[in-house]
Amino acid sequence: MSKAIGIIYANNANDTLQGLALKRPIAAVPFGGRYRILDFALSSMVNSGIRTIGVVAPHHYRPLLDHLGAGKAWFLDRKNGGLFILPGAIHGFTENNHTFCVKDLQSNIEYLQNDFAENVVISSGDQIYNMNFKNALELHNDKHADVTMIYNGIANSGDQTDVFLEIGEGQKVVNIFDQKRIEKNLFTKPHFVNMLIIRRELLLEIIEKYGSIGCIDLIDIFTSNSQVLKIYASPTCSLIGIIRTLKDYFDRSMELLDLEVRGRLWLGGDRIHTKFKDYPPTQYTSDAKVSNSLIASGCSIAGEVANSIIFRGVVVEQGCKIKNSIILPKCYLHANAQTDYAILDKSVQVNGENILKGSLNNPLVVLKRTVI
Amino acid sequence: MSKQECVAMLLAGGQGSRLGGLTRKRAKPAVSFCGKYRIIDFTLSNCTNSNINTIGVLIQYKPLLLNSYIGLGSAWDLDNPYGGVHILPPFLGEQERSWYNGTANAVYQNCEFIDFYDPEYVIILSGDHVYRMDYARMLNFHKEKNSEITIATIQVPWEEASRFGILTVDSEARITRFTEKPAQPESDLASMGVYIFNWSTLKQALKEDANDRASENDFGKNIIPHQLKQAKRVYAYKFEGYWRDVGTIESYYHANMESLREGHFLNIFDPRIRIFSNEDILPPHFVGSTAKIENSLVCNGCIVHGDVQNSILAPGVYVGKGVQIKDSILLPYAKVHTGSSLRKTIVGENAEIMRYCIVGAEGRTAAEQEGITVIEDHHIVSQGSMIEEGKNVYRPQTI
Repeated sequence: MSKAIGIIYANNANDTLQGLALKRPIAAVPFGGRYRILDFALSSMVNSGIRTIGVVAPHHYRPLLDHLGAGKAWFLDRKNGGLFILPGAIHGFTENNHTFCVKDLQSNIEYLQNDFAENVVISSGDQIYNMNFKNALELHNDKHADVTMIYNGIANSGDQTDVFLEIGEGQKVVNIFDQKRIEKNLFTKPHFVNMLIIRRELLLEIIEKYGSIGCIDLIDIFTSNSQVLKIYASPTCSLIGIIRTLKDYFDRSMELLDLEVRGRLWLGGDRIHTKFKDYPPTQYTSDAKVSNSLIASGCSIAGEVANSIIFRGVVVEQGCKIKNSIILPKCYLHANAQTDYAILDKSVQVNGENILKGSLNNPLVVLKRTVI
Repeated sequence: MSKQECVAMLLAGGQGSRLGGLTRKRAKPAVSFCGKYRIIDFTLSNCTNSNINTIGVLIQYKPLLLNSYIGLGSAWDLDNPYGGVHILPPFLGEQERSWYNGTANAVYQNCEFIDFYDPEYVIILSGDHVYRMDYARMLNFHKEKNSEITIATIQVPWEEASRFGILTVDSEARITRFTEKPAQPESDLASMGVYIFNWSTLKQALKEDANDRASENDFGKNIIPHQLKQAKRVYAYKFEGYWRDVGTIESYYHANMESLREGHFLNIFDPRIRIFSNEDILPPHFVGSTAKIENSLVCNGCIVHGDVQNSILAPGVYVGKGVQIKDSILLPYAKVHTGSSLRKTIVGENAEIMRYCIVGAEGRTAAEQEGITVIEDHHIVSQGSMIEEGKNVYRPQTI
């Protein structure tokens, strides 16, 4: 395997999560009991042997930096390489709807110039997956490819992007479609999953040639040059989903209660790493009644919890009924509080006897540090 | 090399043979405690929280797992360019050197290490106690009293006093007498095995002790009584708080179980002094729809489908459907399969209990060690077995 460096686009700053991503990029939204969404891309790269990773940060990067620190939890506190924070471009009035905006790399071009790696692995930071890039890198090298795009061949509602690939012989990408621009239903075609491998020299060339164009996505560049570039495709089935909407967030979280999904994400040899908090074990009192739930460390559970995900340091007092809910770190639920289809952001306090109720298709979101 | 005010010497070489199956493969300080911790976490975290960042860990017995657990000490923020954790195994020198022969001898053989940092004070710690203590306060006491040796003490119940090293003090807290495990205790102040020495005093004492052929080279048995005889300024520092010796199966079991009680020092609502640990990276624990967990501690990475009562599940434990676990401690990665039942049992790390076993069944004869059953690390209890209470189940020895 040749040496590769990584880039994670963690600057998707549009709050499509009804407040969960108001003050943090989607990449920094807590997910799965003890992680943040970014951890999955970051750990996948680290587990693939990549030890130089640049994270493209948005303008409100405090939560991201708070989480990443020097990258110690991902073994990225290196003398040689390590973790780099790449400040993203300011997009002004134009909404940043691009996943891999070239403009974001332009101001960070030295990150790419200073390394000697042959390839760059690029992923968006709003996807839940645990993947080893080894196979894709092997294919990329064997084919002497310019670009290798990772795709999922199975139509699955969870991880659809708008980009579909037509793959020819020997995994060569013949055509790239944007679903929005065509009428025909292409759901049967393999779809791209926002991860790709590109030759570093080529990426530098692209930045040089396209940098002056306001805002352009790498994928658009590939689409218009698909006959010039040697683009290959590598399959994966390790993606759990992309988090773009609150519904995505809720559904992908709840899928973690499914053993098959947890198996793909957590129970294999490659671990997902995250910031250490050194919380003590979770304590259950004799009144606790918990079923079909994921519970992180440092919690105190005295009430009823069903079909829910409880993050670190949450207190559920006696008589509480937590159903179908996601409770983020350090929330405090006082006696007899009830939640159903609710998402409580960090440090929310629910006073006794309150009932918070959302619905499956429209879970109730309570913003950070709210006292109810 | 920067000079340090105080260097800690952590005695972690003991075999801990009274812990039976739990210490056959690892040194006692590396034994799992209270779910996610290992016994040494408490002493190392105390050091970090007391601003002592130069620590020599004296190892000898089965050190592999202990060494790999401590690593560079980064889990306790002890990867420090001006000090840090140093693992100190016995070594060969120009003159004949040998295994560490007693606690004092172990420190004596590492005088060079201490001199390297040229400290004023040396604190001697033991890696097999569970407690939360601010050593900085004890050091202040040591300085205030202009003491040469300060011994940390804790009040113990009179009826238990004869199990400890007992100190008699005057009104100034100066120690007048020290007796190891007295039949008729004169006081209820017990030594916690934590000593602060002026380095010059300690060095002199270690040299004298090394030349004394009759000595057992032990701090409690030889060094302290000898220094008292020489009328050195030896003071007792009174510690108030939680302190447990976990040297036997019974005391290990009870110290673990205490953490289930309310108001225990591991209280998560007291984040002022954290206990750090070098934990494995595991996802949150999953509680299945058939599970029932009561009055228990559960760690990351557990999967629980059965019934768990008054028990502690360490990281990565699996509890299958229809399993009944009561008053038990499951150490990291232990697995209990469908239909088995456990009572008052300590299941070793990576041990596996296959389907439909009964462990801790009431025996026909009176049970030993208070009826606590211990399954050794990595042992596999075959399907349908019945193990009577109070048994120590060892893994068959293989090469």
